[in-house]
Amino acid sequence: MNVIEINNLTKIYNESEVKVKAVDNVSLQFEQGEFAAIVGPSGSGKTTLLNMIGGLDKSTEGDIVVDGVKIGELKSSKLIDFRLRNIGFVFQAYNLIPVLTAKENVEFIMELQGKSRVERDERSIALLSAVGLGERVNARPAKLSGGQQQRVAVARALASKPKFVLADEPTANLDSKSTETLLDIMEQLNKEENITFIFSTHDQRVVNKARRVITVEDGHVVSDERRA
Amino acid sequence: MIWNISWKNVWRNKSRSLIVICAVTLGTVSGVFVAGLMKGWVDQRIHAAIYTEASHIKIQNPEYLNNEELKHTIPNYEEIENYLNNSDEVKDWTKHAKIVAMASTSRGNTALTLKGIDPVEEKSISDIYDFIIEDAGDYFESGFKNPIVISEKTADQLRLINYIISQELIDSLKQLGADEKLMASLSTIQDQRFITEKKFKAELESMLKPKQIKDYGAYIMKLAKNYKIRSKVRFTFTDIHGDMVQKSFRVCGIYKTYNTMFDQMNAFVKIDDINAIAGLQESDYHEITTILNNDSDESVKSFRDNLNKKFPQANIMTWKELAPDAGMMSDFMTIYYYIIMGVIFFALAFGIINTMLMAVLERIKELGMLMAIGMNKKRVFNMIMLETIFLTLVGSIAGMVIGGALIGIFGHFGLNFSTVQEGFEAFGWSAMVYPTIETSFFLGVTLMVIIVAIISSIIPARKALQLNPVEAIRT
Repeated sequence: MNVIEINNLTKIYNESEVKVKAVDNVSLQFEQGEFAAIVGPSGSGKTTLLNMIGGLDKSTEGDIVVDGVKIGELKSSKLIDFRLRNIGFVFQAYNLIPVLTAKENVEFIMELQGKSRVERDERSIALLSAVGLGERVNARPAKLSGGQQQRVAVARALASKPKFVLADEPTANLDSKSTETLLDIMEQLNKEENITFIFSTHDQRVVNKARRVITVEDGHVVSDERRA
Repeated sequence: MIWNISWKNVWRNKSRSLIVICAVTLGTVSGVFVAGLMKGWVDQRIHAAIYTEASHIKIQNPEYLNNEELKHTIPNYEEIENYLNNSDEVKDWTKHAKIVAMASTSRGNTALTLKGIDPVEEKSISDIYDFIIEDAGDYFESGFKNPIVISEKTADQLRLINYIISQELIDSLKQLGADEKLMASLSTIQDQRFITEKKFKAELESMLKPKQIKDYGAYIMKLAKNYKIRSKVRFTFTDIHGDMVQKSFRVCGIYKTYNTMFDQMNAFVKIDDINAIAGLQESDYHEITTILNNDSDESVKSFRDNLNKKFPQANIMTWKELAPDAGMMSDFMTIYYYIIMGVIFFALAFGIINTMLMAVLERIKELGMLMAIGMNKKRVFNMIMLETIFLTLVGSIAGMVIGGALIGIFGHFGLNFSTVQEGFEAFGWSAMVYPTIETSFFLGVTLMVIIVAIISSIIPARKALQLNPVEAIRT
């Protein structure tokens, strides 16, 4: 069953009278439980594609259907709520709230969803334990390493029980060991809980782990390789 | 959680937040203290207006207001007396006979109103007896005939105050540690009588050094002042038949209130001492003053209205009508307090907006992330608004605590504006102020702070709401 359907998606930026096609007529489908990487050189359009899938950017043409909902047709407030309930985000620069502890950062998104204190408490500890930070739940981001912060970000992305997680260059700021740990955790969550992960990356380590690799060049999908 | 984030965000940049908090604290302290000071003044003025000058309700003959002739006495006095005696609303009341007279001594003269009173009854209505100056006689307690209580101002106009350097004064200066030269200089004018303050001052200035005057001048002036109690003052006035009559009274006490105008106009005698010579009969009185059990505005007005219905031929006025300055202050002072606080908070709002704008601009990436993961605009606005409220509330609570403490301290010990005493007293204001404040004022200020914070948060919050999450995360 398709979680995401992308149909003839095009994004054109109008910058100083020059029209730039960042994404050009892309059509893709993602099924539940995929572990996919969108790869390509800088400026190829992979982040723009990811932003449009996440409802952060509007397409110029085409549409994205998530779980039967055309997200391009949602009003701003509905789109924010849709993101809250359906999509998990992991950013390159972690983007944790510095004044909150690891546990509070994970809990925060659940509070936005209106989850009870007990549920928030249990799930945040469970997720932080799953990403190997069960002992650091009360640490603030400044007291965590880059790899640990990104693991908190993964836990936060999963806290809302999303239909899929979008990770934009999640390993770009991490060393090899942290990258390996993070990818192992995400792969394990993907296999055990059947969570869909879509990465935009040009990190070969991520590409090696991915079971589907979509290559984008100049806004076009040039290859879509599925691995066993 | 939003409350938690907002509170923690306040302390992200401690030094910047503390600067704003200090500014809000100082502003609140100033506002609260000024409001307390004004309330202290106003309360004293209102107390004086009621308990020294007017009472809650005054009943007069309407004609007397236009023409202060003795014949314009209160109509139906017995009925009014009976009504007041049987009213549960009345705490105490008394009656006065009033005669406009010319007072004279061998050295001076002045015009004033002689108020014929019953000293015992009067004590339950008016606190004039509390204003008798120390060492300046008493309030009708001396046994001599035809006693009169006059003000210090009147005593000065009648030249009943003089200045003498006595041996006692020199001895007390010695005990204070004054130098021998000062006492030697003062000895040269010992026991010499100066009939005006001006002449005595001039003499001191000619013989003493500026430093000696600065250190001991006020003390010497105070101790050298000598009130001529038991002096005879002759009064000339027109009796009820229109004939000129004269009567002498002996000064038994000298008072001084905070209201120079009142002091200048009023002298008190026993009612029995003037009724006969003025040709007034028993039950001929010019005013009745009453103190009510309930001093609320509504109660006073309602009692006045009842009296008006029952005695339409009499003129009945509340203290607010008799002392409109105090009445106006009583009515509008609360608004003034809030205007003062409003002006202060208006000025502070610019600082608060600036700080919050900086706080938003340096967190663009974080705000973008929050919006991306699903924090809606309402929550973003609430978070920034709460942050602004916390920032402002911390400062204002600190300001209210410090301001309240200052009011408590100065309310106990008083604040003396003696350097401008004459100016204050010309308008009926006391130079010694005891600041005071009502608890409800603090609640009002807290509410104002919250409103100011909400208004101040609009610009920074709008800035945050205009962010595009994608662009914000990229910064």
